[in-house]
Amino acid sequence: MSTSAESAAAAPGHLPGDLAMWFFMLAELSVFALLILAFAVTQAIKPQMFSDSRLLLDTSTGLAMTLGLLTAGLFAALALEQVRHSRPRRGAALLLGALLAASVYVVLKLSEYRHLLASGLGLEHNTFFTLYWILTGFHFLHVLLGMVILGWLAERCRRGGFDADKRSGLESGVLYWHMVDLVWVVLFPLVYVLD
Amino acid sequence: MPVSRLLILCWAALVTLSVCTVLLAHAGASLSIAILLVAVGKAWLIADGFMELRRAPRLWRRLMLSWALVLAMLVGVALVLSR
Repeated sequence: MSTSAESAAAAPGHLPGDLAMWFFMLAELSVFALLILAFAVTQAIKPQMFSDSRLLLDTSTGLAMTLGLLTAGLFAALALEQVRHSRPRRGAALLLGALLAASVYVVLKLSEYRHLLASGLGLEHNTFFTLYWILTGFHFLHVLLGMVILGWLAERCRRGGFDADKRSGLESGVLYWHMVDLVWVVLFPLVYVLD
Repeated sequence: MPVSRLLILCWAALVTLSVCTVLLAHAGASLSIAILLVAVGKAWLIADGFMELRRAPRLWRRLMLSWALVLAMLVGVALVLSR
């Protein structure tokens, strides 16, 4: 069984997950692209303000959040691989690992938000912070939804709801998480690093 | 190579590139284009590695790969114009 599953996963021309999920991701990525471009264009208009404001953000925290999200992505991808080999319990454990890694991001992000608010750097402080809160807040909501999905996938996996032949829902959920990662790897340098 | 090992290698490359982003930022503001290229590299690793697009239908793969590339190019143009 696992052999046929492996060949199905590796077959050229195979699109993992549900086609609807790919269209949904395309829509999400388009919205994020517009927000990212808005950020970049405003930076081009007000470079000094963006440069000064960026100094108030901690790049190391940004890096740690990146590592949390990417590690969650690795665990989610490994979980899918385990289910393809008919090992759903291992898959469930890995999905819980992904959830744990994702919570590192959440804790760090919330602490960053709290610190900024305490310093008076809220949504209305200046244009940089207005865009910072909109862009990272919108992404943060996607992370939270992604974590709900990962948790649901883990529970369904534990109950044997997915196996090597029935895994499209798992693939779609895991893809959603990778999309959240994909957005972050462009968002992180733009918001925290690029001058 | 087993898929699991490939995924771990992909993750290790992503972590290395993330650290490179911060190192490049400390090295100087003139390296913005390099930082953008690193971001595109990371996005491609996620698309081809984690999202398994390397063997997916060409249209979807091209769409996902070009998302990061076109976005980085436009951001790069905005940055160059601001100088």
